[in-house]
Amino acid sequence: MDIKLNDAELVRQIGSGSDREAEAELCRRMAPRIRLYGLRHLRDEHASEDLTQQVLITTLEALRAGRLREPEKLASFVLGTCRMTVLDLHRGAQRKERLLEQFGADLLAPVQPTMPCLDHDLLQRCVQSLKERERAVVVMSFYDEQTGADVASFLGISEANVRVIRHRAIHELRKCMGVAV
Amino acid sequence: MRIGDDGDPVTCSNPIDAAVLADYWLAALAEAEEEAVEVHLLDCDRCGERLREVIALAEGVRNLAREGCLRMVVSDTFLQRAAEEGLRVREYAPPAGGGVRCTVTAEDDILIGRLAANLSGAKRVDLCICDEHGVEQLRLPDIPVHSGASSVAYQESIKFMKAAPTLRMIARLVTFDEAGGERLLGEYTFSHTRTLPGPGATGM
Repeated sequence: MDIKLNDAELVRQIGSGSDREAEAELCRRMAPRIRLYGLRHLRDEHASEDLTQQVLITTLEALRAGRLREPEKLASFVLGTCRMTVLDLHRGAQRKERLLEQFGADLLAPVQPTMPCLDHDLLQRCVQSLKERERAVVVMSFYDEQTGADVASFLGISEANVRVIRHRAIHELRKCMGVAV
Repeated sequence: MRIGDDGDPVTCSNPIDAAVLADYWLAALAEAEEEAVEVHLLDCDRCGERLREVIALAEGVRNLAREGCLRMVVSDTFLQRAAEEGLRVREYAPPAGGGVRCTVTAEDDILIGRLAANLSGAKRVDLCICDEHGVEQLRLPDIPVHSGASSVAYQESIKFMKAAPTLRMIARLVTFDEAGGERLLGEYTFSHTRTLPGPGATGM
């Protein structure tokens, strides 16, 4: 039998009793998404993996106990859990070992989606082919890690203009790299 | 029973634009917009895949910047950042109308020509790179400069210069009058002596 369950159906399945297969599927599905959240907020691969495990544990706990009353709101629930967990990580509150023992490391083994591999030489040509201001905005944003306000000040333009230039540059780069906009 | 994929990577009814995902990665979104993006990303693998592409692009740009191989005007913040990362920045600052003898070593990571000029009132500035006879070889049009700045930091590709023979290069900063005519802001001569061994070491 080939049954495709959406996220909400998975939540119901897990809530209705111990279903390791449903739990494993939920982990497999949510782990890469949580990891992206972690990369954005923690800027560290290992910390993102820790976050992923902890969020999955907390989510499974809640689902097993039937605490998520609206299964369609799984994404919002996970987002809230991510935020709380990031705060916990920042506070240094670690209960990982005990929970790993309780839930099993195999179930929570992090899924690591690979980042796309870019053609370095092509990217260089694409970045070099941008207009001067576009290239400056992209480098100042991604390398210098300057805020929109700082970039705007350097270029003598508004923050809104910086955003427009950055958006145009991103689209140009993706087009040049052969990725659909 | 086999449980199939929910997050079909091919379809998304409301895809998030890659540029907005770049803003998200840069923490440049307003709070409400960021929350909407995050809820969507926790529900959509297609947009997650696009975010990974954006992150790879951002990392690629960072690597190119670190390698010092982009020909471009850079900010002082860029140079500070490079120094903080332990990169070795070699900078030459010839006066306007003058020249400087220069070289590049194997240990250098970033090569900068600091071009002093009065940029006040200049609405558009082009940087022209010319050969030793003054014939234009490359033009960077409408370079990013602040009208209050007193110089332009031009990064020459370190990879190119490490491979280059002994040569003379002339850089010109030009602006435009209301009729569209070019006006020279400054001319700078770089007399590069090759000190690295290898192909091209015998000169032009």
